[in-house]
Amino acid sequence: MIEVAHLTRRFGGVAAVDDLSFSLERGEVVGFLGPNGAGKTTTMRILTGYLPATRASVLRVAGHDVLRESLAVRRRIGYLPESVPLYPELRVGEMLRFQGRLHGLDRAALKARVPAVLDRVGVLDRERQLVGKLSRGLRQRVGLAVALLPNPDVLILDEPTSGLDPLQRREVRALIKGLAHEHTVLLSSHILGEVESIAERVIIVHRGRKLADGTQAELIEGLAGSLAGPLAGRAHVRFEAVVGDAEAAAALMRTLDGVARVEVGAKVGIHHAFRVEGEGDLREDLGALALTRGWAVRELSHVKPSLEELFMRLVQGDEVVVSSAGGNVSSRTGAARAAAPPKNGPSDELLQLGGGPALARPSAAPGTAAGPAVGRVIYSLNPFDRGAQRDLSKPVQVDGPLPPPSGSEQVGGGA
Amino acid sequence: MNGALVIARRELAGLFKAPFAWILLLVVLFLNGIIFRAVLVQSGGNVSTALDAVMAGRFFWFWLLLLPPLLAMRLIAEETRTGTLEYLLTAPVSDASVVVGKFVAGLGYLTVMWSSSLIYAVAMMRAGGHPDWSAVLGTFFGTVLVSAVFVALGLFMGTLTGTPLLAAFLGVAACVVWMLLPYFGSRLAELVVPLIADSGEAVQRIRAQVDALLANMDAVRHFQRSFQRGILDTSELVFFASWSAFFLFLATRSLEARRWRG
Repeated sequence: MIEVAHLTRRFGGVAAVDDLSFSLERGEVVGFLGPNGAGKTTTMRILTGYLPATRASVLRVAGHDVLRESLAVRRRIGYLPESVPLYPELRVGEMLRFQGRLHGLDRAALKARVPAVLDRVGVLDRERQLVGKLSRGLRQRVGLAVALLPNPDVLILDEPTSGLDPLQRREVRALIKGLAHEHTVLLSSHILGEVESIAERVIIVHRGRKLADGTQAELIEGLAGSLAGPLAGRAHVRFEAVVGDAEAAAALMRTLDGVARVEVGAKVGIHHAFRVEGEGDLREDLGALALTRGWAVRELSHVKPSLEELFMRLVQGDEVVVSSAGGNVSSRTGAARAAAPPKNGPSDELLQLGGGPALARPSAAPGTAAGPAVGRVIYSLNPFDRGAQRDLSKPVQVDGPLPPPSGSEQVGGGA
Repeated sequence: MNGALVIARRELAGLFKAPFAWILLLVVLFLNGIIFRAVLVQSGGNVSTALDAVMAGRFFWFWLLLLPPLLAMRLIAEETRTGTLEYLLTAPVSDASVVVGKFVAGLGYLTVMWSSSLIYAVAMMRAGGHPDWSAVLGTFFGTVLVSAVFVALGLFMGTLTGTPLLAAFLGVAACVVWMLLPYFGSRLAELVVPLIADSGEAVQRIRAQVDALLANMDAVRHFQRSFQRGILDTSELVFFASWSAFFLFLATRSLEARRWRG
C-alpha cells in the first residue's frame, strides 16, 4: 500500500528525512514513533503530496507514484494532520459534505456516507454543531470522520491523540484500533503507550533516519538479545518483600529452577527489592518460595520489557539499528557502551527504588524477635499492609500456619 | 475545475457565515450611501454624476484598492495561519483549482458588494430620475473586472506570507504599484531614453512610442474609456482578464513553491 525507498527531504541544509525506506502491506497498522522533530510529520506530508521529496527512488501510495500521480494518491488517502485543520465557521455536517464534494462524491453518496461516518466516530449528534465550538476531543473525532469520509485505502494520522485528555485519548485509540481492519493505517506519535496499544508494527525514526522497524515483539526480543546492561529490555520478575538477609534470600532464589540471575536492590524501609531473571514467568515459583519462607511480600510482578526502554535507548544513544527482518539488532557503537556498566551490580532501576532517604525505623530491628517458627514478627511501614492499624512501635504477629522452613536455615532467621 | 467550484462554494459560504464579510459590506454600503447622497445634493440632483462618484469616482478607486486585498488576505494567508491550507493542498484538487476557487469566491463577494450601486440607480429611476443605464451597467461590469485583477493580485500576495495582515498590506501596495505602472514606466523612460537615443528628435520619438505603450497599461484610462461610458469593448475585457489570469498564474506557482519551501 505504501512503498518508500531512500526518501530524503531537505529543508535548506538540514535533512528532515534522511534516506528513509519502509513499506506497508494492505491492512497493516504501523506506528511511526520518534521524538518531536524526528521527521515523522515531514514523511507523512510527503506521502500525502503536501510536500515534495528532495529525493526518493520509490515513493508510491496505493499503487500510484506520489509525485507524478499526486491527485490519484490524494484520492486514496485519508490524512489527518496534527493540527486537525477544519473550517471553524462550518457546521460538522457541512465540513464533511465539503470533503465529500472535494472527493467527487455525489449527493446520494454524501447522504449515505456522512451519517455513517459520523456514527462511526461517535459524533452523529453533533452534525449541526459549528466546528469552531467543538472541544478538542470532538474536533479530533470530526477530523477523523473527515479523513474517513471518502473511504480511503490508506489512513495517515499525524499524532491523532495529541492534546487530548487521557479519557479522550483512550477513546480515540479505540476508534483507530477499530479502523485497522478496513484501512491501512500509518499513525505517528511520540507517545509510546499509544503506539504500543494500537500498532502491531513500529517504525522508530530519529533525526530523519530509521532506527528500527518490526513488530513490537521482534523489536523487544532483538533488543534484549543484543544489549546487555542494567536497562536492557529483558523480562524479569520484580520481587519485594521482607526477607531478613537479602543476600541469603537471593542465594535461595538462585536455587529455584529456571532462575538465571538474581539482583538484590536497595532496601526501602524493611523491604528488600529483587530483580529475578530467568526463563518465563517466575512469579509462581517465587510466590511459593515466599510462602514457604514466610516472607511478607509487598510486590511480585512480572516486568515485561517495554517498547519504551527500546525507544529511549535508541533515541538517546542514537546507536542501535534494528532491522525489520526477524528483529535482529545490530549495534554500531552501542554494544560496548551499553555493556560498560557493571553487570552484576544492582540495576539502576532498583537503585532508584532505594534511592530515597531511609525512613525512620522502629527501634526493634526486623526479624529479631522470632526465629523461623510460627508467628514470626515483622514490621511494616506500609500503611496498606495488614499491620496498618497496629501501634508501629510494637512488633506484629503474623498468624497462619507456616510450612516448615526448607533450604538454608539462615534465610528466615534474619540478621 | 469541478474542485474549483466546490472550493468557491465553500469559500463563499465561509465568508457569509463569518461576521467579517457582513461588517465589510455594511461599512462600504454606509459610506457609499453618504457619498452618493452628498454628491447628489451637491450636483443639484444629477443622477449620473452621483452614480459616477460611487461607481467610478475617487472614493470608488479607494475602495477598489483597499477591499480586494483585505478580502484576499482571508482567502489564502488566513488559511496558512490556521493550517487549513494543508487540508486543501492534500485534497484531491490541483493547486490551480484552489487558487481559482478562491478567486471566484472573492470576486463573487465583491460583485455582491458593487451591485449595491445598482440599487441606487434603481432607486433613482423610481424616484423619477433618468440614470444612463448602459453607463451604469457598463461601469458595474468594469468594476467587477478591475476587482478581478486586484483579487488575483491580492491572492498572489497572500501566497507569499502566512501573516494575514502582512498579506493585506502587500496586496494594497501591489495594487497601488500596478495602478501606477504607467507613471513608473514614464519615469523610467525619462531616465533611460536619453541614454539610448542619439538625437533630441529620437528622444522625442521614442518617448512618444513609450508613452503610447504605457497608455495601454493605464487601468484607470481603460476603465474610463469604455465601461464608464457604457461601451463593452472586448479589448478592454481582454486587458483586465489577461492581467487577472497572469496574477492567478503567479499565485498558483507561488503556492506550488510554498510546498518546496515547506
